[in-house]
Amino acid sequence: MKLKHNITNDNEQLPEVLQELRKEADGFRVPDGYFDSLSPRIVDGIKRQEHGSFSHVLVSSFRRPRVWAPVMATLLVAVLLIFVVPSKKASTLPATDEWTELNMAFDPSYAEEAFLAEGHTIDKELESKDINYAEPVSLSGQNGPTAEEIAKYLKEHEYDAILLNDY
Amino acid sequence: MPEYTDIELVELFRDVSKTHYAFNLLVRKYQEKIYYFVRRMVIDHDDADDVVQNVFIKVWNNLGSFREDSKLFTWLYRIAVNESLSFLKSKQLRSYLSLSSPEAQMVKSLHDDNYFDGTEIQRRLSEAIIKLPKKQQLVFNMRYYDDLSYDEMSEILGTSVGALKASYHFAVKKIEEFVTSN
Repeated sequence: MKLKHNITNDNEQLPEVLQELRKEADGFRVPDGYFDSLSPRIVDGIKRQEHGSFSHVLVSSFRRPRVWAPVMATLLVAVLLIFVVPSKKASTLPATDEWTELNMAFDPSYAEEAFLAEGHTIDKELESKDINYAEPVSLSGQNGPTAEEIAKYLKEHEYDAILLNDY
Repeated sequence: MPEYTDIELVELFRDVSKTHYAFNLLVRKYQEKIYYFVRRMVIDHDDADDVVQNVFIKVWNNLGSFREDSKLFTWLYRIAVNESLSFLKSKQLRSYLSLSSPEAQMVKSLHDDNYFDGTEIQRRLSEAIIKLPKKQQLVFNMRYYDDLSYDEMSEILGTSVGALKASYHFAVKKIEEFVTSN
């Protein structure tokens, strides 16, 4: 084939203008002393790479899309889970936790709240049990405080006498 | 400076007490060839300087595990090809933010370059090469300027000899047309 023949013989058949230009320098030159200083500068580059290797690798690897894209996707999912997915509603029952107990030391009104919360809890427990009315019923459940204990607590904390009268 | 063969340089490099000495010799042996190859691809001297440094840093990092199933120079050349193409690719990505194409920027750089003092026809030749597809640029530069054989180019580029000959043939035709018509 003619084309194949031309390709095979190209080395001997360069156009005249290219044959002439090939004999000359190509026009690119370098600053004076460039090649003398190149090796030391390369060695400096190697030292910089070795000293900053971790951060350099970290930064340069993070620039690759296959690294930052999954990281960004993970962050996006985390943000969505935290802020977009609705959180579980807080319980409507009055709090009787440790925080409330602490607050009771500063604000007597918390005592009433705690008392009401306990009563609510007691009612729920009673509802779920098969009650034998022949037996006396515990107002506060097996593990809860007795009436005496409640009265003692209120007295110790000097609460309203009206509450005490309930006991 | 003593002259060592490539095999001797690699062995010297693997001797822990002589690594830096061997590396220095290797750089001085190949720096000009690698520099001008890269320079013809990226045109600008400062860009070529960056790429050449990256090439030799990669050589430093990987010469210890060089398998010697290819010639050292072929291996060096392959690193230079990859680094040049990576640089040009990143330049192309950055050029999306500017109004001109990477090729136009390189042609302008050629005209403005303080480190180019070729004749007008040499400038046109370099312009013609810039306008070639990257693979054809590589093939043309390796064959025309560096006088590499097709077998060596095949080893460096991982392309068949026939494809390389065809690529060189078309590159020559395009360049001749550009240089003689302008």
